[in-house]
This record gives sequence, structure tokens and C-alpha cells, in this order.
Amino acid sequence: MKEIKINIFEHVGSDAAVSSEDGDSLYNRIVKGLEENDVKVILDFNNINLITSTFLNAAVGQLYGKYDSYFLKKHLGVKNLNKEDLELLKKVVERAKEYFKDRKKMDNSIKEILEDE
Amino acid sequence: MRFILSDSISSDFNGYETLIDLFNRTHKLRFEDIILDFSKTKWFEANLTAVLGGILNKAQEGFNNIELEGLSNDINNLLSRNLFLSNFGGSRIPDFYDTTIEYHKFKIVEEKLFKEYLDKELISKKVMPKMSDLLKKKVNESLIEIFNNAVIHGNCKKIFTCGQYYPAKNRLDFTIVNLGKTIKENVNEYLNKTLSGDEAIKWAVLEGNTTKRGPIPGGLGLSLIREFISKNEGKIQIVSADGYWEQIKDTGKSECFSQAFFGTIVNLEFNTADTSSYCLASEIDEEDIF
Repeated sequence: MKEIKINIFEHVGSDAAVSSEDGDSLYNRIVKGLEENDVKVILDFNNINLITSTFLNAAVGQLYGKYDSYFLKKHLGVKNLNKEDLELLKKVVERAKEYFKDRKKMDNSIKEILEDE
Repeated sequence: MRFILSDSISSDFNGYETLIDLFNRTHKLRFEDIILDFSKTKWFEANLTAVLGGILNKAQEGFNNIELEGLSNDINNLLSRNLFLSNFGGSRIPDFYDTTIEYHKFKIVEEKLFKEYLDKELISKKVMPKMSDLLKKKVNESLIEIFNNAVIHGNCKKIFTCGQYYPAKNRLDFTIVNLGKTIKENVNEYLNKTLSGDEAIKWAVLEGNTTKRGPIPGGLGLSLIREFISKNEGKIQIVSADGYWEQIKDTGKSECFSQAFFGTIVNLEFNTADTSSYCLASEIDEEDIF
């Protein structure tokens, strides 16, 4: 499998990965990479000093609306995250799984209500 | 119209109630002279100029003339040092103690400028040597999360900020204000309920709760800050619509004001002498994230 590295510092243009807008544009870049066959996208956080959940929700959390955990485990990786930020990313991922599980439940119940009418 | 401020305006329920009263008396005025009378005021917490700034900005948009009268020397100096009075014809005076975090008004697209402001006003301050690098990072991240929340949920045009460092108490206070959609409006629309202001805030600060419906998940930012504030032994206060909620260390409290603020105020107080590591007991494996 070919590994493609995205340098987050270069992507956001500074040492702060904090805005939803930057996260969203990173999401689009990751998706483009994941659309290729047999590719693993590596997010390299080298030289990044500040990270917010807002950024990670948009960049990584959003991926769980399109891909499942099994696929992302295989095709997405991270490097150079310190342990506090790794903990933050883990929380964002767990939260995203819950969010999309709840959304599917909500979509299904809306569908059921509409079908009953 | 003359508004007489009380003798002490602090970051507490009574202080916010006074400022909400000022908001309600001024936000609908047009082409009036508004005089803020400080002659009875002996104490005004500098970080609250973010709230005052938001209220007076709204009043100025209504083409009202605003004058601040009767300021004591101490309050005049304080509001000059943090640049607040520069917005009302006053001049800046140097901050020899370097404890001031300037009053600033941001457009919602200025997230990067806000980060630069934090770098200049917080991180590079010489008077904050006690703060560990990790603590500075956590403080910075918390403030940016609150700024982002205002951008995402507030549906507002401007965000007002100000802070003050109290070296003797090892405390840093920072206030972020928006005059946008309130938490009460967002939560009640989302849940299709009629919760009171304080109930809506209590719902919004619980982990996993978010009013977001789109493709980007949410419901984490405020709970992360709560967790940090608890470990840091700091304080968080949220005022939105008629709701008031606070967490001091790890104890929460909420109540309702008699009037509503058409926006949201978030005040964070950090313990700057904290040396916690903020790490989980168990290490997380890079290979076991997704």
C-alpha cells in the first residue's frame, strides 16, 4: 500500500491547527487521497503546537460520515502527535462514531415516520 | 439616557445582571445620548470590558452618542491600559505591570488574528513565567475553542474579548462575548422544547450534546474545557439569554436572570500556578486511534 503524507503545518500555513475551515479543507484533501486504490494517508503533525477539537472534528471526525472504522484503521494514520493531542484525537474519533450512530438512528426514525404517513 | 453603574462590577451573577440591565435599556435606542455614570463605581473587573464593549458597540450601531462619566482614576487608568477607552476618545497609557490583556473586537473570520492576539497578549507576557508551556497550550486551546463556538453557533458578526492577569492571586481571567444567537435559542430549536436559559446551558455543556446537525460532528469542545478547568481548579461562567451557569473547580451552579442578554458571555478563569500534566494514566497507541 502506498503511503501519502500530508504535512499539517504546510496545509494550515502555521503551527496552529485550530479553525473549522482549515479542518474542512484538510478533510477534502484526505478524501481525495482515500479515493485512490491501495493508498494510506498519513497525517503528519510535526511542528504543530496548537490543535483544537473544532479542527479535528472537521478534518477527521467528518470522515466517519463517509467511511467506517475498519476502512479508516487500514487507510489513515497519524504521526508526530504528542500524547495530549493524541488523547484529544482519540476523543474526537470516539465522539464522531457516536455522532454518526445517533444521526443514522435519527434518520431511520424520520424515515419510519414518513413511511407511516 | 443616563445609566448609573453600581459600586462594584465583578464577574459574578450580580455583575452580569447589571450589565444585562444596561443592554436591555440601550439596545433599542436610536439617535440618543447615552451617558454611563461611573461616579459610584469603585471596582470594575477589567475582563468585563468585553461585555461592556459588546453592549456599547450595539448601542453605537443605533447612532447613539456614548459618553463615560465619573470614572475614578483607578478605573480610568485600567480602561486606558487595556485600550477600551481608546474606542471612546480616550488615550492609551502604558501598562508598566504588563498584566493587561487588551480589549479587542474581532470579525468572525479573524480566527487566525485571534490566535496571534493570544500569542502577543498571553504567551509572550514576561509576567507569566509560572505558567508551564503545557498550561499555556491548554489555556490557548480553551480560548480558541470558545472563539470557534461563537463563530459556529452564535451566527454573529463580531466577537469581543478582554482579559486581566492577577499575579498575586495566580489567576488569569478572560472573557469572550458575542451578540448572536443564544444557547437557549439553539438548544430549544434543536430539541423542540422550551427550556429556560439555565437549563439550556446545562444541556449544552454535557459531553456529547450538540445542536449541530451537519456533516461535521460536535459536542466535545465545552466538555473538554470543563474537564481542564476542573483539573486546573479554575472557573467557567456562561451567560446566555436569561441563563447563568458556572463551574468553579468541579462544582456547577445555575440560575436565571430577570432579563435576557441577546448573546453569549463566556468567562474563563485559570489557575496560572498549576503544574498538572493533563495526561491519561494509560498511554494511547498511535496505531489504535481509528
